[in-house]
Amino acid sequence: MTQQEFKRNCLIAVTLAAFALPLVVRSATYLHILIILYLYAYMTTTWNLVGGFAGVLPLGHSVFVGIGAYTSTILWLQYGISPWIGMLVGAVLAAGVGYLIGKPTLKMRGAYFALSTMAFVEGIRVMVENIDMLGPLKLNGPRGLNIPPLQMGEGSFWAFQFSSKEPYYYIILTMLVAVLAMTSAISRSKMGYYLKSGGEDPDAAQALGVNVARYKVAAMVISSFLTALAGTFLAQLTLFIYPKSVLTLDLSFELAFIALIGGRGSIAGPIIGALLLRPVTEFSRIYFSATLPGLHLIILGVVLIVVMLYQPRGLTEPLLRIFDKVAARFAPALPDTPDTPDTPDTPDSPDSPNSPDSPNLPDTPDAPAGPDTQGTPAAPGATASASPREERP
Amino acid sequence: MDPVFLAQDCINGVLMGLIYGLVALGLTLIFGVLKVINFAHGSFLMVGMYVAYWAVTLSGLSPYPALVIIVPAMFLFGYWVQHLLIRPIFIAEKNVREPITVIIVTTGLWYVLDNLALLVFGPDYRALNPNPLKGQMLEMGEIIVSVPKLYGALATLATAGGLHLFLQHTRLGRAVRATSLDREAASLMGIGQWKIFNIAFGIGTAVAGISGAVLTPFYNVYPTVGIPFDIKSFVIVVLGGLGSIWGALVGGVIIGLIESIGPNFMTSTWTEGIVYALFLLVLFVKPSGLFGQKQDW
Amino acid sequence: MSLLQVQEVTMRFGGLIAVNDLSLEIGRGQILGLIGPNGAGKSTAFNCVAGLYKPTEGRILFDGEDVTGQKPWDLCKKGLARTFQIVKPFQSMTVLDNVTVGAFAVTDHRDEARDRAMEVLRLLGMGGKGRALPGSLTIADRKRLEIARALATDPKLLLLDEVMAGLRPTEVDEMIDIIRALRERGMTIFVIEHIMRAIMALSDEIVVIHFGQKICRGKPEQVARDENVIKAYLGENYGTA
Repeated sequence: MTQQEFKRNCLIAVTLAAFALPLVVRSATYLHILIILYLYAYMTTTWNLVGGFAGVLPLGHSVFVGIGAYTSTILWLQYGISPWIGMLVGAVLAAGVGYLIGKPTLKMRGAYFALSTMAFVEGIRVMVENIDMLGPLKLNGPRGLNIPPLQMGEGSFWAFQFSSKEPYYYIILTMLVAVLAMTSAISRSKMGYYLKSGGEDPDAAQALGVNVARYKVAAMVISSFLTALAGTFLAQLTLFIYPKSVLTLDLSFELAFIALIGGRGSIAGPIIGALLLRPVTEFSRIYFSATLPGLHLIILGVVLIVVMLYQPRGLTEPLLRIFDKVAARFAPALPDTPDTPDTPDTPDSPDSPNSPDSPNLPDTPDAPAGPDTQGTPAAPGATASASPREERP
Repeated sequence: MDPVFLAQDCINGVLMGLIYGLVALGLTLIFGVLKVINFAHGSFLMVGMYVAYWAVTLSGLSPYPALVIIVPAMFLFGYWVQHLLIRPIFIAEKNVREPITVIIVTTGLWYVLDNLALLVFGPDYRALNPNPLKGQMLEMGEIIVSVPKLYGALATLATAGGLHLFLQHTRLGRAVRATSLDREAASLMGIGQWKIFNIAFGIGTAVAGISGAVLTPFYNVYPTVGIPFDIKSFVIVVLGGLGSIWGALVGGVIIGLIESIGPNFMTSTWTEGIVYALFLLVLFVKPSGLFGQKQDW
Repeated sequence: MSLLQVQEVTMRFGGLIAVNDLSLEIGRGQILGLIGPNGAGKSTAFNCVAGLYKPTEGRILFDGEDVTGQKPWDLCKKGLARTFQIVKPFQSMTVLDNVTVGAFAVTDHRDEARDRAMEVLRLLGMGGKGRALPGSLTIADRKRLEIARALATDPKLLLLDEVMAGLRPTEVDEMIDIIRALRERGMTIFVIEHIMRAIMALSDEIVVIHFGQKICRGKPEQVARDENVIKAYLGENYGTA
């Protein structure tokens, strides 16, 4: 078993275990805690598409949660349209809003984008709190919307309501696995490379053919779409939404914090962040909220500052290093991977069949650069004295 | 609408707007030099308010003499926050012109400060007691002017004027401006960049402290009091142009007027929505703000 | 027909004229050197060509097409690649991934892009460093990485902005070899360089600018003899690499 295979097997095992968990965990309370945990991991992962990969700081992602929640709920309450359809409608709507916010601001740098995402959430919240009827649509102002439960003990897939926690568990877990697979596919694609490079150094990326702003906007649209799906899920899980529950800066900031502490731009970051932070939050809310109010937020703030100062790329990196060590004990390290050949001095023929599109590059191993520059892993200066340069006309 | 009412609303709006401008002034000064947004600015204001509150409560004086303590204390506080928390990020990300990490760290600081205040002082809304200025009014014909707000507005003008003189006419002030224009060039001139950053952050924090002090006579003190001011300041600095002193004051007055005149035409809760709409409009139409120079954003 | 034509380009920043009425052209397969004292406007001229600045006046033709004011990413797709004087590697990405970003200009497929990137790295003698992070590289290797990324975009014209600054003499020799090898493959190259020995050895022609204005153009040996040039520049620096 190679290390690669070992890691993949671990991943499969964890996923299977997560799916099998409700067979063991029968308590509705614990299942609910897990559902919320997955929900946060999901929302943070979609946040990470912009905040991590594209290197900007969105501080208003709850606006998309809110759009998703309100859209599907209104469509269900007033028109009897299944929340599953409402979920998609809300997501499309959110994608449109994401485009509207991103298009003008992502051209500018950092602070403006962060500030306008915040202003957007606050603006939308004020709007919803002040509107009872938006045309024919009932928003019900600050009181929010109640989804009347189906009859006791009844569940319906069409109504997105279930009599037990298990269906919710499986839905959010499936959503989470799907979105993780998607982000990991994106991060390995052209889009992922372009987002990362544009986030790190826009000037350099642009010189290499990356239309940085366009890719950031695209990421924003995808992220808004996916985040809104979580909004509908949240509405159906709690059956009650109001502006201060789904359209708040608190939720927006919490998503950002989980991602940042976990590790922005890494696939596992949001999961690890949610695993680390949610229990702290829940625990201190339950046990200290009366005696030591705000303690969990102090802890959160301190953790955030310390992580940013000492491990700015998040906690996932050191944790993965530990995992690598564990993996190395169980499986021999790979001498090489197919992607990154470690064999520098083989003058293998560059005109291999998979690169016919490089007419401007030398197609013979003994291009005039000579053997000294052809493949020297050692310091470049070391071989220069043997350079045949002077002998050439 | 009755012109007297309108005049009254305008005066209230301008006075309150100037105080908003004062809060934003600290933020814009820090941004002008460091090119980062200090998300903990509202919390610095809150700290300033608590210091003023306790100074008055313990001494029985009015909050203005307390500025003698507040200004240097807040300056040192800001100086060390920049030195200990923000400078390391600039060093670690020295190739990044505008490290987003600073926003995150200052947000962490915001959470810590606000909740420490909650832990220590509890969630109560505290009004200054004794409050020597309580309810003091200046009557000019039919128009009534609140004295503490007037003092606050005057403090704003004095602070802005003082900062202007400092930046234009002192050696240190010129060094601060040079650093804000070009970090490397300033370093070449033999000005220590970090020292300038510390000083700029300290001054910005001290200004937050002044705003806190002038607010206490007519504004309750509570742990999250900074948040509405924080968000308003963000709006104001973008409106006026990030980094512009006078833009901050004008932006503040615009917000103040919307808040005081708006309720004549709509539910007062809507005025907040107008403020955000205006903010987004400026951002989309003229992102450099009303008075900001065009920067390489 | 020339590959690049710069026609009467002027670039002003406020009151400062950084480039003044500059015209030059580069034929296909040529190496053109651009030299001048510090602050002469070399980098600004480069940035105009590369699309970072839109010239205040004048036109830039690339491959017969007017590309004045076009964005860097569009120019890159058209076959114009550049390096930066201060290298700008993507610090959190491996060397191979850095170059792969460039290779995505040619293909949408990751495997193809990585193959292509690997090939470019081997060409520059960095085949064994694909997995390293840029922070661990020597200055010479960082400069090569900068070139590798640009090469991966499959350019017709390569703009090299002081790729030899800070290198040791032996490393400079290697860099000269690399650039010659590229030219021998038919690539057109536009070089800014401070190291006189290198630019004299490399260039087919040299343009000298001073205070944003062209003061001389010719073969290296002509330029080296030109009175104006010697006065402005070479008198002090020639021969000191």
